[in-house]
Amino acid sequence: MNYFPDEVIEHVFGFITSHKERNAVSLVCKSWYKIERMSRQRVFIGNCYAISPEGVIARFPELKSLTLKGKPHFADFNLVPHDWGGILYPWIEAFAKSRVGLEELRLKRMVVSDESLELLSKSFVNFKALVLVSCEGFSTDGLAAVAANCRFLRELDLQENEVEDHRGHWISRFPESCTSLVSLNLACLKGEINLSALERLVARSPNLKSLRLSRAVPLDALQKILMRAPQLVDLGTGSFVHDPASDAYNKLKATILKCKSIKSLSGFLEVAPRCLSAIHPICHNLTSLNLSYAPGIHGNDLIKLIQHCRKLERLWILDCIGDKGLGIVASTCKELQELRVFPSDPYGVGNAAVTEEGLVAISAGCPKLHSLLYFCQQMTNAALITVAKNCSNFTRFRLCILDPIRPDPVTMQPLDEGFGAIVQSCKRLRRLSLSGLLTDRVFLYIGMYAEQLEMLSIAFAGDSDKGMLYVLNGCKKLRKLEIRDSPFGDTALLMDVGKYETMRSLWMSSCEVTLGGCKTLAKNRPMLNVEIINEDDQIDFSSDDRQKVGKMYLYRTLVGPRKDAPEFVWTL
Amino acid sequence: MGRATSCSSSSTASSTQLRKDLSTDLRLGLSISNFQQDAPNSLPRVRDQTSDWPPITPLLRKALEVEDQNESNSVTFFVKVYMEGIPIGRKLDLLAHDGYHDLIRTLDHMFNTTILWSEVEDGAHSEKCHVLTYEDKEGDWLMVGDVPWELFLSSVKRLKITRA
Repeated sequence: MNYFPDEVIEHVFGFITSHKERNAVSLVCKSWYKIERMSRQRVFIGNCYAISPEGVIARFPELKSLTLKGKPHFADFNLVPHDWGGILYPWIEAFAKSRVGLEELRLKRMVVSDESLELLSKSFVNFKALVLVSCEGFSTDGLAAVAANCRFLRELDLQENEVEDHRGHWISRFPESCTSLVSLNLACLKGEINLSALERLVARSPNLKSLRLSRAVPLDALQKILMRAPQLVDLGTGSFVHDPASDAYNKLKATILKCKSIKSLSGFLEVAPRCLSAIHPICHNLTSLNLSYAPGIHGNDLIKLIQHCRKLERLWILDCIGDKGLGIVASTCKELQELRVFPSDPYGVGNAAVTEEGLVAISAGCPKLHSLLYFCQQMTNAALITVAKNCSNFTRFRLCILDPIRPDPVTMQPLDEGFGAIVQSCKRLRRLSLSGLLTDRVFLYIGMYAEQLEMLSIAFAGDSDKGMLYVLNGCKKLRKLEIRDSPFGDTALLMDVGKYETMRSLWMSSCEVTLGGCKTLAKNRPMLNVEIINEDDQIDFSSDDRQKVGKMYLYRTLVGPRKDAPEFVWTL
Repeated sequence: MGRATSCSSSSTASSTQLRKDLSTDLRLGLSISNFQQDAPNSLPRVRDQTSDWPPITPLLRKALEVEDQNESNSVTFFVKVYMEGIPIGRKLDLLAHDGYHDLIRTLDHMFNTTILWSEVEDGAHSEKCHVLTYEDKEGDWLMVGDVPWELFLSSVKRLKITRA
């Protein structure tokens, strides 16, 4: 019952911004559902195949900002064939036909064609922000259309996309009248860029706060650009190589001193370590530092740099920093909240890699740490138990031991107890990735203790169906489960089919599930799409149901089997 | 570096067997996923874009490969390394090392032990150490470290680590 007029309730709803909370609010009663849907401006669709674009438009006609995610997470690691799906065009087409005044579009793992970018740029007069993360299918021609037609563009953010670079000066397509840019991220582009056009664009963008350059932008161009944008808060350098004795380098040093607002630094896609001293003066202000694409910086230079960064809250680096370097991080960066350590030598033995020692040092030195991604040579139960004691605030804990089934090298035991300690201690844990030698026991612990867990990634772990069952039964808030190369089969898959409708998706590859098991699951479940990815014609649909399925991806949906599935994807 | 032992208190005998098969498969390079290996090895050594382990994005993989090529000029010299008591050996790129000290450090790490070679004093270590030897082109087994590094590289065929 409403004691207030609708306008008041709508006003109150204006303060509720999180998607989860707005979804909850809309379930209270019909009246609140109606008010909420008419006032929702930001819509988040975690799986583009869970709902149709028309359905979204019908429910939220006033939407201004849309976030869409396409391919499953394991697509990041080459496990999903390129033309699996996640195509943007139908969404743009539907939105263009409607009266929706789209202003922001954020996409992750979608296939974005130049045609869709062009249609987007011409259909929405007030379009302001385009963020593409891990997308593919477009070229600089599509970007040129966006530059040319979106007159009020504020944000063009390209993160880790596969972009086909045509020879064409797409940067020059930004009209002289375009002065609204706040954020421009070009780091993933591979081709040449018209440097003077870029410099002019920066010069006429007084609100520019975030600029990330591509490898094609050399040091001297960086200096000229920084002269035009001393107000930058977030900088990504391109190529950072020059003779330290040269004029250009000295000019850069002087210019950087003027950039007192830079809090976030990344790039160094090509770097000569001897040039790094130029950035030491701004290190003391940095809250975010990303050197994960800079394998040219070795341990000692990294350490020299980090010793200046006392305010760091987020650090992404390569493991060439070593355990010793992580010790320096631990004693220097007391404000650290998020740490990612990537492997610099994914295939080799890795002398410079990190071990459990580095992680323990970090956990002891950085009390605010809550998000971790750590690629390492080895891990011990003792270390994990210590980390759990030191740091109970983890919300994201992702550990990847390079040898995927390596036991504790000291005790030769599986790492069940170590991960068990983590889930027991970190009561707010929402995301977990496991690795190393693991038995069903670790899943027992996860099911028992990981009450807030929303996403779990499993590789080469477990002994039997019991493992998967512990997780499905115990983790009530589980939304995404992705499993590869683990011995879970039909029994686990079919025990509680209703569970999958409470989750966004389940991925299982190289496990023990059979075609028959998947068919059984798909029967009578209109709310689930059960897809089999059948590469190289491994499975003959008509024959033996006892065949093991190579890759299965299932997700809940309101709109039934998708119509754009390629030949090798079967929806059961 | 030891064998993976399967320690499952709550699983059946057949699933324990499956787990052991899985770990053996990985070590023999016959894994059920896309690993392609040129030698019995516990890490996938594919240098192409279809690799799916470790879980890093293709962009990062490429960036690291470029740097790797810049540094090493793509010249490698892999030799087999066996440890006494372990039937499955490893492979090691000698050219990725600066000299004997670097090599010993890698081997200590790879096999999780302390390795004695000709520069190390005898009697200063416990029984848990191992000795590093190599087979030269004439088929003789010699202690590592007696000849200059470059001469060693030109005559070594494979390495063996035996109990001291």
